[in-house]
Formats: sequence, structure tokens, C-alpha cells
Amino acid sequence: MSTHKDSLLKKFALKATSEYTQANFALVVSIALTLIFLLAGIDFSAGAIKPFFFTLFIAYAVFSIIQAFIAYQVKRDLKRDGVIRASTRIWGYIQLLSVLVGNIFTTAFAFGLIKKKKNPQYLFTMFMLMTQFYCLAVSALNLFKPYVANTFLMGMFLLLVIFVFQLVVLFLVIKDKGQSPKWKLYVGILLIITSFTGNLFALALGLFMLLEVLSKTPSTVAKWYTIWEKIASNMTAMLGLFFILFIFTLSICSYWTFDYDMAIENNYGATLQMPSLAYPLGTDNFGRDVFSRIVFGARISLIVGVLSTLIPFVVGGILGAISGYYGKRTDNILMRLLDVLYAIPGILLAIVIIAAFGASTTTLVIALSVGSIPTYARTMRANVLMISNMEYVMSARALGASNLSIIFKQIVPNSLAPMIVKATLTIGGAVIATSSLSYLGLGIEPHIPEWGNILKVGSAYLESHSYLAIYPGIAIIALVLSFNFLGDGLRDALDPKLD
Amino acid sequence: MNTVKNAPQRHSSSVPNVLSTLSQTFGKMNQYPFLKWGMLIIGLPVYVISFIIYLMKRKDDAYQRLWHELHQACTDAGLKEKLITKHLEQQRRKQTFFQQKIDELKIKQVAEKRAEDEFLQIVEDKVQEELAQRGENQLTFSGIMRTLLKHPVFVVLTFIPGLLFYILIFLYMNPYIKYIFERLVSTLFVIIGVAFFVFTILYISPFDPAANILGVTATKEQIATFNQIYGLDQPYWVQLWQAIQGIFTFDLGASFAGNENVVDAIARKIPITLFLTFIALILAVVIAIPIGIISATRSNTFLDYTLMFVALIGLSIPNFWQGLIFILTFSIELQWLPATFTPGNLLSIIMPAVVLGTGLMASIARMTRSSTLEVIHEDYIITARAKGLNERRILWRHAFGNALIPIITVIGLMFGGMLGGAAVTEKVFNISGIGSYIVDKQFIPDIPAIMGGVVYIAITISLVNLFIDILYAFIDPRIRSKMKQY
Repeated sequence: MSTHKDSLLKKFALKATSEYTQANFALVVSIALTLIFLLAGIDFSAGAIKPFFFTLFIAYAVFSIIQAFIAYQVKRDLKRDGVIRASTRIWGYIQLLSVLVGNIFTTAFAFGLIKKKKNPQYLFTMFMLMTQFYCLAVSALNLFKPYVANTFLMGMFLLLVIFVFQLVVLFLVIKDKGQSPKWKLYVGILLIITSFTGNLFALALGLFMLLEVLSKTPSTVAKWYTIWEKIASNMTAMLGLFFILFIFTLSICSYWTFDYDMAIENNYGATLQMPSLAYPLGTDNFGRDVFSRIVFGARISLIVGVLSTLIPFVVGGILGAISGYYGKRTDNILMRLLDVLYAIPGILLAIVIIAAFGASTTTLVIALSVGSIPTYARTMRANVLMISNMEYVMSARALGASNLSIIFKQIVPNSLAPMIVKATLTIGGAVIATSSLSYLGLGIEPHIPEWGNILKVGSAYLESHSYLAIYPGIAIIALVLSFNFLGDGLRDALDPKLD
Repeated sequence: MNTVKNAPQRHSSSVPNVLSTLSQTFGKMNQYPFLKWGMLIIGLPVYVISFIIYLMKRKDDAYQRLWHELHQACTDAGLKEKLITKHLEQQRRKQTFFQQKIDELKIKQVAEKRAEDEFLQIVEDKVQEELAQRGENQLTFSGIMRTLLKHPVFVVLTFIPGLLFYILIFLYMNPYIKYIFERLVSTLFVIIGVAFFVFTILYISPFDPAANILGVTATKEQIATFNQIYGLDQPYWVQLWQAIQGIFTFDLGASFAGNENVVDAIARKIPITLFLTFIALILAVVIAIPIGIISATRSNTFLDYTLMFVALIGLSIPNFWQGLIFILTFSIELQWLPATFTPGNLLSIIMPAVVLGTGLMASIARMTRSSTLEVIHEDYIITARAKGLNERRILWRHAFGNALIPIITVIGLMFGGMLGGAAVTEKVFNISGIGSYIVDKQFIPDIPAIMGGVVYIAITISLVNLFIDILYAFIDPRIRSKMKQY
């Protein structure tokens, strides 16, 4: 009887242990990447190998094999004992080395494997470190360039100092026994200060530390803690968030560590160079460094993506809330008017607005925003309709609260969750739309480094220099995919139905 | 002889049937302010005639007579005085209770006002009670109209002047026809709205098409002539009216550049885009629905995760990049498929269709998975399983049909996005469809061409959505029952 119960526990352990699923996920992605590098590393027509990609392939293959071994160990441990043994967890330290070849999937898994009891603070610290590390590494690539920006050394030094400080934080977090000692206050403040680099993991961590120390009511801490925990336990969402914040950090740090001239000044001595250490992704037909251009392009993609989601979020949200709360005639009129906007496909509406007011970043943001107002308004209206029938709204009304205070204190905060999820999922769409319009020549001015613009140049050299079109595309996909992963993760975390 | 006798009888028994529905529908429609005013405008002659009859009938109305009688009776019985005393007393007590200063004059005013109100209410109640006992109704205008509409003579006499009015009521008699009619009206409204919106945006544009086309060297006279030829010197409302008229009469004039007939050009290009979209749609549905069902039936397995991961990548790929990569791989390196589209060559439609359909494919696959998952956990599926049906039968006979409803919604919604997104795909594969036409024309900006292109695409989308909505009304029993109760 007891053995039966035991085996049941073990069977359950295999499904309930997050490490097991994460190990498999990291393994599969790692193998997929290995295969992609293998294909990229062999020049089939010439029968030769490309040294860079082939080296990458070998490195990824090694870590994939280690990952396969760890996954096997984890499975065996769980089947035999129902828990992962300490000896298996040691392997995490070896797998941590995969951070050096840029395999974030196995690295993230290794971080999770090392520590038995993972709290969100630990995971956030890990991702904060990874973001900082990769930001440093990518910036360091500039060392191979003929010249660097004036602020490069200072910027790199600052980034390094912050990195070391964050390492110290990691040790403090590991040693933390769950009380809220005084050091958290100072470390928290310092972390918030360091987040000016764009590393919002540091900001979140710092804020949480402050909240823990300063908050008088444990329930607020617990509320935030559960949301954090849910997001942190979702590996794909965290990886998505990581990539977004990495791009964000990089685009802020590029002010100091990257040279803008490299990205926009023509250099006819070095046109259409193949990828090399000085030009990691080659140069385009004007001799501009594609790598720098992609890094600077991230800035525009993020700004346009976020702004053109934020504006319809606010405008559509307000219209939807009014429409849903007041109902009847207001609702009818507003919704019929928005139907008109809804009938025009977003891209076409953007084209019309750009045709009327000319191609520029501001027009682009407005053009993309107007088209998505109706969808946000509809989402908000549906939420508000549902929530205004809740008992707590009725009780607020019975207590004599005014319409405005009911809308802003009861209804809006409670209907935000689906809106946030929707916004996260549509930022990706906005990023794609931005680059699509630039590709058509309707978006950002052509000389400004923007991913669509880089691709437009690349499409002209598809036959001879295909890398010009491939790399910016990969950057777009990675960013959009990250937003989609994060959005899916947020939906799972915020959806009360899944509780 | 017998048949002759029977015929009018049958006739007379069937006519009131139609007429009573007519009168009933009128009563229902009268409850909606919008419809009420609409009917009044359309059927003014009918309303005038009924109003005269109403005025005549009001003279010997039972209600008025009763009201006067009972009012007199109550006044005689001294009811009013009693009420005043009662309210005076109430007011005094209230003021004492709240320890306010007693102001006799004010109290008297308030008490009299309240007593008057209550008195009228009591009289009204009594009149209603009496009327109900006698089985008579209060005479109202809408009541009169309803009784009149039951009269064959009245209907026949007013049929010609009130034709529109009767047609409107007739449309509302059947819930299906009513639904379709209402959707058509709102579609019409949307189309006019789109035309207004697009035209206004292009009108307030700071760009000057004349200067763009004629070049910087153009003289003032040349620009003025250009503006006169294309009607650009006319006031806003005239231009707007011409634009909207042009859209419905398929005559938008000539485009600014090239001087070709805009509607002809659009009519040549729209079929290509529609064909491409249609192929992409078919491709997406055929591939994505099985994938979604496989994912749902094997949920949380390796296969499911892989398929959904691929779907998510499909959602994240920009169309134009995917197109470029396809050209690079299948046209340049492998040389399997032509890189550009040529009409008539079916091989050349494959790549554009796949590229255009990828986003839809991914959305449908995800939607199919989630809606199938939702449906197979419903109670009626458990019942079907308990009945001993095999899994295949449960899935296809009971689950699939119901899971299909949200999928069709997604297809309808995405169709619009696809027609818009076609602009990018058409540019990549060099297809001369409506999307690339609009993009080419926007640099000038060629107002009639852009407006025509966008509005006709919006019309197509609206019509497709209208069709899907109507389809729902016949398929989904939930909507059907909701439609009938209005």
C-alpha cells in the first residue's frame, strides 16, 4: 500500500516539478538552435564549412549534450526518489557556462536548477544579471571597431561596476532567509538607481525590496508576491521579458557605448563588407555598420511599438469605459462611430494618414494608434459591462459614490488586467506594422536606422548579400515573439479563471 | 354558389390575421425612439390621417369623461381638504423631529403641493380601475393607430401614400428579415462613415497634389486650372458629396496622375487581391484547423507544445521578411518557384498565398485549439461519452461544430487584416493588386484613387462580415433565440 502511494507521489512528482518540463524545453530549443547553426555552418554549394557558424554549432552541440544528460538525470531522480538530488543540481553550475555562447535557454534553466527553493527575487536577480551581462558583452564587441565613441570607456566601466554590484546582490539574495533586514532598504535604493541603464529587472527587484521593508500591511506584499511568483514561474514568459528588457537596456546603453556615426555616416571605403569582427553583421551599400544600425533601430521599434499601443490603450480605454458604463444611447453612438474606424484595415488606415500628413515618426505613431482604438474600446467596454453588474459596484453606488469615483476607483482598476494582456500582445503587432510601413517607404525616414529600413536595403541585395535582409528580420521576430510570449504568460498569470 | 360564398369568408378571416401582426409589430416598433421617429417621417400621410381621427375620437373618450366625473366626486367628498390636513401634520412633525424652526407659510405651501399631487394620483388610479372594470382602454394616439391598422379599409386607403411606412413595418414583421435589414442599414452607415473619414483626412492634408504633379515650375494659372479640372477648388461639402455620390454610382472620375478612370483601375486590381486572399484563406483553414484539433486532443504533450510554438512564430513573422526569405530560398537558391507573380501561372501564387496566410493560419490554429479544449470539457460531451459514443464520433459530431463558431468569428475579423496586409505582400512579390495600387498612389496624394481603393476594400470587408453575421443568425441557436425576443 505504501509503495503504491509512493509510486503515485513519484508519478505526480514528474508532472509537478517545474525543473523537469523546463529541462525538456531548454533541451528542445537548444537542439533546434544547434541544428540551425549546423545548417548555417555548412556551405552546401561549395562543400566547405563556415568557421564562425561551425564553431557556434560545436559549442551549442556540447551544451545540448550536457542538457540532455541533465534532463535524463532529472527524470531518473524524480522517478526514483521523487526529488532532484543534490548531485544533479551541481550540474547546473557547469551548464551555467552556456551563458558564454549565448544560449539563454540552457542558462536560465541552469539558474533554476542550482537553487532548490526558488523565490521570485532569486529568479529576478538572475535575469537582471543575465541582462547586464549580455548588454556588457554586446557593447564590448565595439572594441574590434576602428574607433569607438568618446563615452565608450566610461560607459563600459559604469556597466561593469553595476554588474559587480548586482553580483553582490545575488549573494545577498541567496543568503536571505526571508526576514526583511535593514540592508534591503539601501540595496533596494541602489538597485533602483542602477536601473537607469534600462535594466528594469533591477527596478522591479529594488521596488520589491523597498516594499518588503517599508510596507506596513503584509497583504499588499503578498498580493504583489503572488503575481510575481506566477510570472516568474513561467519560463517562456520570463525569457520573453528578458529579451525585451535586454533590447531596452541595450538601446539605452547604446547612448554611451555605441557610436551613432557608425550607423548613419556613409563610409564608401567599406561598402557591402561580409560579417567580420569589426562589422559583426557586415555593412550595407553605404558602408554603414549593420550591427550598429540594428542596435539603434531597436530604440525606434520599442518607442513606436510602445507609444502606438499606449495611445489607443488610453483613448480606447476611456471611450470603452464611458460606453460600457453609461450604456444605452451613449454606447450606441460611440460604438457605431468606432465601427467606422474598425471597418478600415489598420495598415490601410495608416497608409491613408501617412499619405495625408507625410512620412515621419510622429505621423507613424498617430497612424498606427488611430487604427487600434476600436479594438481597445471594445475590450474595455466588454470588461466594464461585466464589472458594472458586480455587487461591489452596486454597493459603492448604494453608499452614494459619484459616477466618476465609481468608474475610476472600482471599475477601471478591476478591468485593467485583460487590457494589459491585450496591450502586450499587440505591441508585437505594432513593431511589425512599423517595420512593414518603413519597408514600403511610408514609415521612418530612410537614413534613420530602423529595422524595416535596414531590411528594405537588404531586399535589394537579396541574391548577393542576403545577410543584410536576414539579421534585421531575426531581430524583429525575436522581439515580437518575446512580446507574444510575455503576453501569453501575463494572461495565464492574471486570468482569475486559471486560479 | 357555395364556393363563391366561401371565398370572401376565407379572405376576411385571413386579412385580420396579417393586419393584427401589422398592428402588433407597429406597437413593438413604437417602443424604440429611433424607429418611432423614422416611422413618423416615412409615413407622415398615415400619421396625419390617424391624427385627425384621433382628434375626432377624443371628444367622446371614455377616459376623459370618467376622469371629470371622478374628479368632481372626489372634490365633493372633501378628499382634498383631508389630504391637506394630513400633509400639514406630517410637515410639522418632521420639522419638530429635526428641531428646525417652524415656518408656517412654507409648510402650507409644501403641504398643498403634496396634497394636490396625491389627489391627482388617487383620481388617476380610480379612473384606471374603473376603466379596467369596464374593459375599455385609455385613448392614446399610438393606441388609435394600432386599432386603425387592424381596419382593412384604413390600410387599403392609406396604402399608396404610406407605402414606405408599410414596407418598413413589413420588414420588421419577420425577425430574420428585421435582423438582415438592420445589419444592412448599419453597413450602409459604416460605408458612408468610412468615405467621410477617409475623404476628410485627405482633404485636410497639407500636401498639394497639383504642385506635386505639375512640379515646382508650375505657374499659378496651371495650378488653378488643375484644381478646376479635378474640382479641388470647390468647397469641402460639395467635394464630399461628390465623393460619396461617386462611390455609390461607381464614378470617381479620373486619377490625378496618369488620368485613368479610378473605378476601372480598381475594378481591374481588386479581383487579383481577392483571389490571392481567397487562396490564402483556404490554405490557412485547411492547414490550421486540423493542427488546432490535433493540439487540443493531445493537449500538454510535446506535439502540442511544438505546434503551438510554431504557431506563435507564425504570428511573429513580418510578412515582408517571410516573403524575402521565401524568395531567397525557393526562388534564388532552390529555383523551385518563380519569385514574382504572373497572372495565369498557378505556381507563382503559392508563395504569396502562404506568406499572406501565415498570420491567419497561426491565429486559426491557436483559436481552434482553445475553443476545442473549451468545448470538450462541456457537460454535453461528458454525456456523449457516458452514452458510450466513441471518441472520434464525439469529436466530429458533437464538439467540432460548436468549436467552429468562434473560429468563424476569427476568420471574419482577420479577413479585413488580410486585405490590408495584402499591400505589403503584393509589394514583395510585385503583384499589381489593389494594395500596391494604393501604396503607389499615396505619394502624390491621389485623393480619388486612395479613397476609392480604401473605401471599396472597406465595403468588401463589411459585406463579408455582414455575410458571416447573417450566417450566424441561421446557424447559432443562441443568436436565433435572442433575435426573436426584442
